[in-house]
Amino acid sequence: MIQYPLTLKNVSKRFGGKAAVEGVSFEIGSGEIVGFLGPNGAGKTTSIRMSLGLISPDEGQVKLFGETPGANAFGRIGFLPEERGLYKKQTARESIAHMARLNGMAGKLAFKLADELLDKYGLSEAKRKKNKDMSKGMAQKVQLLSAIAHDPEFYILDEPFSGLDPVNQQVLESIVREIADRGRTILFSTHVMEHAERLCDRIILMNGGRKVFDGSTEEALNTAPRRMVLASEAANLTDLVTPFVKDIETRKDGALMLTLKDEAEAHSVLETCVEKKIKLTRFEPRPPTLHEAFVALVGDDVRADMQLTPETSADEGMT
Amino acid sequence: MTIIPRINMRRTLLIARRDFLGYVKTWGFWLSFFLPFILIIAGAVIGIAAATFNFDVTPTRYETILDKTGVHAQALRDSHEDRLKEREKDAILALKAFGVLPEGEVEKIEKIYEQQGLDGVKSHVINNTPITKEQLDKTTSRISSDLIFIDPPADTLDGLQAYLREEKLVTVDGEEVKLNGALIISPPRTAKDGEAYVQYWSQNFNHTRVKSMAEDYFKERAETTYLNEGGLNRRDLKIASRIEPYQTFDPTKAQGADKDSQAVTASDKLPYYVAGILSGILWLTVFSGSYMLLTSMLEEKLNKLLEMMLASTRFSEIIFGKLIGVAAITLLAMSPYILSGIFGVIGYIAFGTDSEIVNGLINSFSIKMVVFFLVYLILGYLFYGAFFIALGALSQSMQDAQTLTTPITIILTLMVWIVPYGISNPDSPILTFASIFPLSAPFAALVRLPSDPPLWELILSSGFLALLTIGVIALASRIFRFGVLSGSGAKVVTDWFKRKILRKKQRKSCKA
Repeated sequence: MIQYPLTLKNVSKRFGGKAAVEGVSFEIGSGEIVGFLGPNGAGKTTSIRMSLGLISPDEGQVKLFGETPGANAFGRIGFLPEERGLYKKQTARESIAHMARLNGMAGKLAFKLADELLDKYGLSEAKRKKNKDMSKGMAQKVQLLSAIAHDPEFYILDEPFSGLDPVNQQVLESIVREIADRGRTILFSTHVMEHAERLCDRIILMNGGRKVFDGSTEEALNTAPRRMVLASEAANLTDLVTPFVKDIETRKDGALMLTLKDEAEAHSVLETCVEKKIKLTRFEPRPPTLHEAFVALVGDDVRADMQLTPETSADEGMT
Repeated sequence: MTIIPRINMRRTLLIARRDFLGYVKTWGFWLSFFLPFILIIAGAVIGIAAATFNFDVTPTRYETILDKTGVHAQALRDSHEDRLKEREKDAILALKAFGVLPEGEVEKIEKIYEQQGLDGVKSHVINNTPITKEQLDKTTSRISSDLIFIDPPADTLDGLQAYLREEKLVTVDGEEVKLNGALIISPPRTAKDGEAYVQYWSQNFNHTRVKSMAEDYFKERAETTYLNEGGLNRRDLKIASRIEPYQTFDPTKAQGADKDSQAVTASDKLPYYVAGILSGILWLTVFSGSYMLLTSMLEEKLNKLLEMMLASTRFSEIIFGKLIGVAAITLLAMSPYILSGIFGVIGYIAFGTDSEIVNGLINSFSIKMVVFFLVYLILGYLFYGAFFIALGALSQSMQDAQTLTTPITIILTLMVWIVPYGISNPDSPILTFASIFPLSAPFAALVRLPSDPPLWELILSSGFLALLTIGVIALASRIFRFGVLSGSGAKVVTDWFKRKILRKKQRKSCKA
């Protein structure tokens, strides 16, 4: 029995002399939900294309279901590429059924399944609608359903959330959870950390064509700096907390955003304030986010490429 | 790596089916499919309606001749009458095409017309053929009524102007009609004018019939005068210059008892024309199919669905699927013409009256011709089709596609010249080369077939084309993969070429 649906060993790929992926190794275990994270140009799409055999690595080895990627994996993979579309003149059910049939499903069954899926995900009205007449959100849902209709063993979803409105992002998340509940393996790339945080057992962080982190979500969060918000009317608050922090930023509302030193603890800051009889109006240890973990791992220069979560957006109040 | 692409037939046919339905489910396809039938039916309806309601499709023109010389008017009108009779005779002879004139009748009618005139022809036809008087009158009636000369309603050009401008109408058989044109014949102004100075006046100045009739009349008169001066006459000249067309003989034809047994007949010539037509059909299939593949590929690329499909299908399956799908569309689009052709040929062989044409058709569709037509049709379509698919995969827009396909379009257009050249020069070295050179082989080899080229040449030509077709499909598969996944246009091809091919050469030369 194959333990790893996907294995990459020291895989590199160059385009015109420029390394798109360099020495990347990882395995995706059966039943895992893996977030493949990184900014634009990190090498996610190239790694995915190599995983599927669409392009060959210059160096290293890729194994899909224990074999070189190719026709053997057809029907066992559900792939949603980053750049996706639909045949404009096909209807939604035809699109889904066509892909399901290409993946080995019998004709009648494929159409029946297409109808069921469209009903299930609130697209009944789109059944007979031509793709060109559908809204962008509807079309994206149809694209996803086309990729997964044949219920494969391994789902590879490249930026599945991009371009979706918040409501449809929720729908997509629920679809991914349903797939995961059936014990299927999922690898999805995204630069929206919030989705990865909510959905993944494990994350692989890519930057500049290299893997910078591979571990559980919890492990990733542990790499993020510990932060807390502190507010007081006392004038000497900043001086008082300086020994505990790496960095202090003043927010628009006057509160301080502290980044704690590695050895420092939030409760030590609180104890010191109590000792010095400082009256605190706010004391909020902030749980780390994947975004912060990512920035800590790869540096601040990629911040612009990574989509901010609502939580981190709140921090934008900093001066 | 094997050069012959592996394909799963089920997936290939599914792709073919989608491509086929993608075209067939559009109203534009069915409009173009039914348009010829619609036009034929519309033409028939108009024809029947015109006949039923006596609606004149070409209304009668009323013309007049104002002859100030007093010499030519009547002669011109007589010449017009003669022309009408000639046309009526031709209309009777045209009935041969419908099989109502028995064989040998054409020559008889020509002779009777010469000796007894049109009336003699008419009575002969009524008495000796299945054609009835009513049928004959119907055939000839329209010809005599489309141009009528009337007496001039005024004696001067100024007087005629009002009629020509339709300010006044003329009365013919109690009915007021407009005067369409007037031929004004005046004495010559200079020697250059010849026998007369002629003007033609009409609002419809592009109408040439009366003008050319006058030109012929005066030319004939000038010739007659010239001949008379030398003591000759037109009739003798006509007899003297009536030479039977030279007969062509074929030395390879079997010699029989008859002295003309080796003479070339329509039955011998027909296979060449049939080969030309088949080559034309092949060209049309390749040309329209290739462009359909190009646009289908481009549409596919712009739809951004290929990458998703590539996780479920091989490149080669997509290529073959498209080739099969578009071939089916092309065949369906051409089916009315192909079926009409097949039924027409079979029908004529079974019921045709002209034995020479029947034999010619049988000779034209020899087993060799049919087999090689199919071989070249399939290979030619696959070869050019794969080429266009690869180009479509590399294109980002229609402009890109047009730029990339220009060279191959020029080559394909040049092939149009091969057919007429091949019919008259089947043994030309150019045609021999063209029938082996893969780009022109499908078209040129077919045209050569009736001249019975050596079989090894045909096998070499089709084998070479088959090998190259496999190569092009393999190459197309690679270009396709590269073009689709790079998402780039034509510039990338040149960059890739420089990087992969030129650098390799450079490295090799450096090593050397």
